[in-house]
Amino acid sequence: MSANVPVLEGRDLTKYFWVKQGRGPLARRVPVHAVDRVSVRLDAGKVTALVGESGAGKTTVARLLARIIKPDKGDVLLAGRPAPSGRPRSYAAQVQMVFQDPFASLNPVHQVRHHLVRPLQIHHMANGNVDAAVADLLRRVALKPPGNFTGKFPHELSGGQRQRVAIARALAVRPRVLIADEPVSMLDVSIRLGVLNLLADLRDKEQLALLYVTHDIASARYLADTIVVMYAGQLVETAPSASLTDKPAHPYTQLLLSAAPDPDRAQPPHLEGRGAPPSLSAPPSGCRFHPRCPFAMDICKRQVPPSIALDTNHIAACWLHVDPAERQANENGQVLTAGQPLDNESKKR
Amino acid sequence: MTIDSTTLTQAPVAGPTPEPILRTARIVRLPRSPKVIAGLVILAVFGVVAIIGRWISPYSPNQTDPQNWVQHVLVPGTGPGTGFPANYYPLPFPPSSAHWLGTTVFAQDVLSQVLASTQATLFVGLLAAAIATCLSILFGVSAGYFGGGTDEVLSLVSNVFLAIPGLPLLIVLADYVPTAGSSIFLVAIIIAVTAWAYSSRVLRAQTLSLRNRDFVEAARVSGEGRIRIIVVELLPNLIPIVAASFLFTTLYAIYAYVAIAFLGLGGSPTSSPPGLWNWGEMLREGFANNAIRGGWWWWWAPPGLCVALLGTGLALLNFGIDEFINPRLRAAGLTRRAAKKAGIVSRAKLGMTPVAAHHAQAVSRSQAGITASREVGPEPVLEIRGLCVDYGYGEEAVHAVVDCDLVLRRGRVLGLAGESGSGKTTLALAAIRLLRSPAVITDGQVLFHSKPVGGEGPSGTIDMLAADADTLRAVRWSEISVVLQSSMNALNPVISIGAQFDDMLRVHRPHLSRTARHEMSGAMLELVGINPDRLRSYAHELSGGMRQRAMIAMALALEPQVMILDEPTTALDVVTQREILEELIGLRDRLGFAALFITHDLSLLVEIADEIAVMYAGRLMERAPAAALFNAPRLPYTHGLIHCFPPMHGQRSRMDGIPGSPPDLRALPKGCAFNPRCAWALDQCRHDVPHLAPLNGSAREVACWLHRGDAKVPAELARPDPVIVAERGSVAPPGNLARPPHEVGR
Repeated sequence: MSANVPVLEGRDLTKYFWVKQGRGPLARRVPVHAVDRVSVRLDAGKVTALVGESGAGKTTVARLLARIIKPDKGDVLLAGRPAPSGRPRSYAAQVQMVFQDPFASLNPVHQVRHHLVRPLQIHHMANGNVDAAVADLLRRVALKPPGNFTGKFPHELSGGQRQRVAIARALAVRPRVLIADEPVSMLDVSIRLGVLNLLADLRDKEQLALLYVTHDIASARYLADTIVVMYAGQLVETAPSASLTDKPAHPYTQLLLSAAPDPDRAQPPHLEGRGAPPSLSAPPSGCRFHPRCPFAMDICKRQVPPSIALDTNHIAACWLHVDPAERQANENGQVLTAGQPLDNESKKR
Repeated sequence: MTIDSTTLTQAPVAGPTPEPILRTARIVRLPRSPKVIAGLVILAVFGVVAIIGRWISPYSPNQTDPQNWVQHVLVPGTGPGTGFPANYYPLPFPPSSAHWLGTTVFAQDVLSQVLASTQATLFVGLLAAAIATCLSILFGVSAGYFGGGTDEVLSLVSNVFLAIPGLPLLIVLADYVPTAGSSIFLVAIIIAVTAWAYSSRVLRAQTLSLRNRDFVEAARVSGEGRIRIIVVELLPNLIPIVAASFLFTTLYAIYAYVAIAFLGLGGSPTSSPPGLWNWGEMLREGFANNAIRGGWWWWWAPPGLCVALLGTGLALLNFGIDEFINPRLRAAGLTRRAAKKAGIVSRAKLGMTPVAAHHAQAVSRSQAGITASREVGPEPVLEIRGLCVDYGYGEEAVHAVVDCDLVLRRGRVLGLAGESGSGKTTLALAAIRLLRSPAVITDGQVLFHSKPVGGEGPSGTIDMLAADADTLRAVRWSEISVVLQSSMNALNPVISIGAQFDDMLRVHRPHLSRTARHEMSGAMLELVGINPDRLRSYAHELSGGMRQRAMIAMALALEPQVMILDEPTTALDVVTQREILEELIGLRDRLGFAALFITHDLSLLVEIADEIAVMYAGRLMERAPAAALFNAPRLPYTHGLIHCFPPMHGQRSRMDGIPGSPPDLRALPKGCAFNPRCAWALDQCRHDVPHLAPLNGSAREVACWLHRGDAKVPAELARPDPVIVAERGSVAPPGNLARPPHEVGR
């Protein structure tokens, strides 16, 4: 496998959910644009964080990549090849998922052992020695000694231990990709870092490709190599994590960062772009952030902004970063050329 | 493998605290309810009779007893003088030593008939219930799990069966199969066909909710097949419901069998092919032969009583299953008994946390503390002294809050930080006695120094723990209001926001006119940044953030002196959270209320609170001005907690958080509750509980042995207090100590 090919890639993923509007047999079914042309790539040995507010479509992207749901448009590529249709076991063997709520993701009537043995059996991973494999899994997620945990029921474990068991279950099939949907948000503050560090270790030692879905931008900065920011079902900015938090290019990312708790902040933050995310059944035209954007221009209301490469790996979908001349040309109906680097407009901020 | 109790108790620090295994606990607990015991006894008696009845029965149920067939009555219109040959009608025997339950008119032994009937009736009931339960699981669970078209078809079938009245269908079916009465299996199948639909619908609904649970999704993601998901993952979770519906169906099947036999559709035991003896058949024969008019109670009473008794037994057991499934029902009875045993009279009154009777003695002790710790600052408005709150009573009590002192000052924001289970919510809600039994305040004092803003409402010092219901009603909401994390879900969905404002104002400000109330409501909404037009909206028309703001507006409407904010923004997005916090702080500056802000998010608290108190395992562990607490913590736990929040700036480096997990309140470690997770724990920490005490001369207090005696204080816990330059929020940390040095550059 060449180093350039991502382990798992979603290209132009689009997902609509159809909801009824009105009542009775005459109810219209309208699409909710949950995810709109989102492309994400996961590389071996890297953590990609997907950050956004609730309703931004983070979890939908995660579930699309795990193939729990099917995209309406777009492709999922596993090691450069289109993923098989449906959800065959061969896919489950490569892509695994950890859920948000460790209190709900383990079956309350089964012991820890059952949760780990099943994937081993389904994928024939145990090589005849199930107990040794289970003990090994528990050791990998730092539940030691394993003998103390195999016979426990989920309710006998603390939240952090439960989430470790859930991670161990995902690791049982030796996947190449782990999709973690808000794995620490339900855990107590003092044990979150332990789980995040475990994920970091798995990335480093086992070269896992990780998707870390979160609403907490500080923890994304801590764990992830790349941060992807979503707003109202679309990607707004993608960048290496330090670069994204230190030099946010998209007004929405800036808003998100200014709103996040930061005890080191000397002055109370000033929020630019108050209000709430738009309804996704009738999303705003053009850039979906324009109704809240303090820098909104005419073109933002009419045309979807292009993805502009500002720096190596730093991409923002915002008209502010398009050369004014080009913006004008584009507005006049001419074809837009490739992305332009950072221009004067952004210095206005 | 299994774990015996010794390995459980020797679990490492990071491991969970020992806890009884759920399964054994449930089995032991189940028969504690007298209802269940009664039900089990009744069923056991019937079970034994059904099994051994055949062998203990003195006669065959069909056998007539010619020796005793001597009592005869002349049938009217026959005999001498009528021209017809005399025709005698037999009389049944009342109970005697030969026939314990008497005989029928055919000189058959009633006891033997009852014994034979019990077996058949019970067997048919159980068999029919078993078949019906299998059918309902098959239909209900597959409909719920597969959904879509499968669900529509299967639900249609079960709905059709549900819509057809059971008994008429039963009669038609029983009539259509004339030999049904002679075969237990046919009868059972016919009854089952009419009985499965209801439980099928219940199971479908339950499966629908289970289907989308994460553990089912996780099994799917791990590649598990559908059948195994249903059988291994779903079904075990449905067992309580299946059990309850099985009992219910058994009851129904027995009634149904008795009913069709009573109607003569079960086949007579003396016809050919012979039907089975059952209670319905006995009743039918009795009624057909004038048993009621003749006063021969021994004939019809035993089968009738059997039906009633068995029905009672099954119903009692079903109650037990309900209690078993719903722990709230179970707890209700047990705690009352435990409370009585512990000598606490707990009136289970909503919104009146019981106060233990013996707390009066303690008041004098804590009164001494009040004068001792008078600090500089605005005058106190809410003083909590030595408050202790237990959940449960006597031996089983869990000490959720132990000996907590807090002083809330006018116009100040006091932050209360801690992890889940540390007792922060319990502390705040106990102070205004909003917790319900089994919570009980065992010690302490809560004083509310009221100075109503508008001049209305109670003034002067109110002892909250001694206050009666009327005083509490007057104080709550009007003087002390509460906003909870789930407050936004507390809005009534069927009444407009305006009507809810109106309700609240009408109760607390009765003299206001309708228009005045409306204007005031609109003004309050505007205050929190919502258009007054929204008064006409319903809760579902507002976003989560707007609903939470509406609740805050409602909490502010009566100009309270104290607001208790319990994780008011935790369920909201960061931007909304920030907006609401800005508004709250702005309102605090304008209206001058004091706020007790409870959250697990210390990083947030540092930005908005004046003073922060940190709780751990039910005790206050550190209290200091916000900036001092964050930049120069004195307590190892606080230090660890601060370093659980990754920074937003600077070098990214690995942080370790706090090892282990928060303790279980039922099994706290000896000494300081934090000692197993503490890097600097001393020997003393493992034996003695540290108490909150002022730290040499400063305005801060800490409960830690490291700062007592001559122990060497680690450098991390001995940073100089930050210099407060001007107002809150602009604090200059001394040097580059905002982050501990060991983290930089790793």
